Amino acid sequence: MTWRRTKLIMWKEILQLRRDPLLLRLTFVMPILQLLLFGYVVGSDVRNLPTAIVDLDHTELSQQLANSFSASGYFVLAEHPSSESELTPLIDGGRAQVGIVIPAGMSDSIDKGQTVPIGIVVDGADSKTASVASSYAAQIIAEFNRRQLGLAAKEARGPSLDSRVRVMFNPSLKAVNAMIPGLIGAILLISMGAIMSQAVVRERARGTLEQMLVTPITRGEYLVGKVLPYVAVATVQSAFVAVVGRYWFRVPFNGAVITVVVGLGLFMLTSIGIGLLVSLVSKTQQQAQQTIMFIILPTMVLSGFIFPIESMPPAVVPLTYLIPLSYALVVMRGAFLKGASIADLSTPLLAMVAFAIVIFGVAVTRFSKRLSE
Amino acid sequence: MPASIRRIVAIARKEFLHIVRDWRMIVTVLVMPLFQLLLFAYAISFDVRNVPAVVLDQDNTVASRGYVQAMGRSGFFRIVGAVPDLSGVDRAFNRSVARVAVVIAPGYEDAIASGGKGRAAVLVDGSEPNSAQLGQAYAVALNNVWSRQILVSWAEARGTSFSGVGQLEPRVRDWYNPDRRSAEFLIPGLMVVIIMIVTVQQTAVTLVREREFGTLEQMLESPLRHSELILGKVLPWALLGFVDTLGITAVSLLVFQVPLRGDVAVLAVGMFLFILCSLSIGLVISAMAPSIESANLIALLISFLPGFMLSGLAWPLGSIPVWLQVVSCLFPARFMVEIARGVFLRGTSWNVLGIQVVWLVIYAAVGLGLSAILNRRQEQA
Repeated sequence: MTWRRTKLIMWKEILQLRRDPLLLRLTFVMPILQLLLFGYVVGSDVRNLPTAIVDLDHTELSQQLANSFSASGYFVLAEHPSSESELTPLIDGGRAQVGIVIPAGMSDSIDKGQTVPIGIVVDGADSKTASVASSYAAQIIAEFNRRQLGLAAKEARGPSLDSRVRVMFNPSLKAVNAMIPGLIGAILLISMGAIMSQAVVRERARGTLEQMLVTPITRGEYLVGKVLPYVAVATVQSAFVAVVGRYWFRVPFNGAVITVVVGLGLFMLTSIGIGLLVSLVSKTQQQAQQTIMFIILPTMVLSGFIFPIESMPPAVVPLTYLIPLSYALVVMRGAFLKGASIADLSTPLLAMVAFAIVIFGVAVTRFSKRLSE
Repeated sequence: MPASIRRIVAIARKEFLHIVRDWRMIVTVLVMPLFQLLLFAYAISFDVRNVPAVVLDQDNTVASRGYVQAMGRSGFFRIVGAVPDLSGVDRAFNRSVARVAVVIAPGYEDAIASGGKGRAAVLVDGSEPNSAQLGQAYAVALNNVWSRQILVSWAEARGTSFSGVGQLEPRVRDWYNPDRRSAEFLIPGLMVVIIMIVTVQQTAVTLVREREFGTLEQMLESPLRHSELILGKVLPWALLGFVDTLGITAVSLLVFQVPLRGDVAVLAVGMFLFILCSLSIGLVISAMAPSIESANLIALLISFLPGFMLSGLAWPLGSIPVWLQVVSCLFPARFMVEIARGVFLRGTSWNVLGIQVVWLVIYAAVGLGLSAILNRRQEQA
């Protein structure tokens, strides 16, 4: 294997990439588009929900409760309908996303020591808003109860629980802080899968592969020369996401660079392997595209990148163990947010080593076998 | 005019034969959508349960164990083990074996027995914000319930009933989807996104391929007009898109038992228009892209990123920045997701959804016209 011939293949590949100006531009647009959408859509936090409050009690206490909703920052009391029946048109028309109903006589019942139901109306057709709004409402009501209870316990000189709930690593709970470290890894897979595999299949579909193989180029030189330019492209994209994430989205970085490099290196090998395998099973670029869709879709959905694994039904959870990106995510989020070391992350890293050996190994051996046929 | 229709039918037949002769294409077009439906319907959810938790019980008494058990019984936290000290909590978080740690300070039982404050803390790993957000809220609520229980049993042990203070109880009422079944509120929107992914991806290459193989030139030698070519290309895909819609609707109603409360006619008209819109996106890509690779990549990027994420399916459009809300109007999915949800879940009809249907009509007309113009320009260049 000589470096000179490998360089020639690489040069050919770069020239080809430059011949298609749109493709070249797309490789730059891709990380920007992903940053925008993952940063601002998936990473958006549900806050300032327009809320309609129906206060049927009209007492000081009910006013206090209403204030604690608006003070939380999650609810904006946009509408004050006077009866529950007026709630429907407000929510149907989208003018309010949450309804809060304080029943008449709440204050009196509390004084009598009764439990008073507070109605929280959410639009269940909107998954994220519904679950977040109901949990915040529960939290606000719990805080309210605790204040009441604290006063009572003090009066009765009884015991109570002094409990604190603290969020570690990402105290502001910004979703983008978890999104960006994941994206730095995911973009490698998307690039190698969607761009490199197309380039390899193209060579076969157009018959230029045979021409190449009658020259003195060896299989190893061809493979390295073909793959390296795309590795470079993917690395630049990934680094770009990291820099923008760190300095524009202000994602904290508490870990060691070496942890990130080791994790990304292993994931890169796996991604190269997946890209090569896709090109092996596809005869046309169209087929390669369909195959990569078949891989990227489950990867995005099941890895925990977008939807938390804890929210999946128990029967689906074992499937997530089969997805290389889910380990890369643990490593990247661990290194960025928690400052976890390589030793801490040994389990996911070992899983990634196993994936790299199996997928990259199988892909490279099958690929050189295909070339020699 | 009949000659024109004959030419359109001829192109449609040709396109149809291309599809039927490629078995992988058939699988992609007819089986993939159902696979995607199952995958998304089971996996997309923000309703978190069974968050793994470790316990650091520095008191280790009957009272402290009672508190831990109450946490475990909630169904939200799943106690996976105990750790001996605070560095054990750090290790559990760093290794991602737990997302929550329940820490009880020494002297907890004594403090409560003597009418003082038992100290405890719940630490939540914020690196998965979706789980952490809900975890935080649940922990606060559970602590409140437990605190009350402590006070009540203390009062009862003294023979006095504790009734000095009432409390509020949140009663969440979920409209339109009372059991909060994820599949139910997702499927109407999913259907839209899946149809979009399939149709955009497949049509994005049709014109580029003809151009690369030189068959486009041959076709344009014939009396065929650009608009006829576009219509002929669209027809078979529109038909397949409709078959997919029927398949997904059947699975949704029979397997997932999604209710269909509204006017089916609105859904059918909307879906027909939406398929035309998606096809026109694909054709515009196809008319602009210089090569199959770039067409494939644009199709992948558009159908996944803005198409899926700005559809309002999983992320509420109300909480994204305003400029992105404006951008989302460039993609037809948000209108159709609204229609599909309205018809399936809320039982709404023309009067509410008419405006969305009008948007789709405009979109389809502009999109198809644009693709014909762009294709002509590409050909002349």
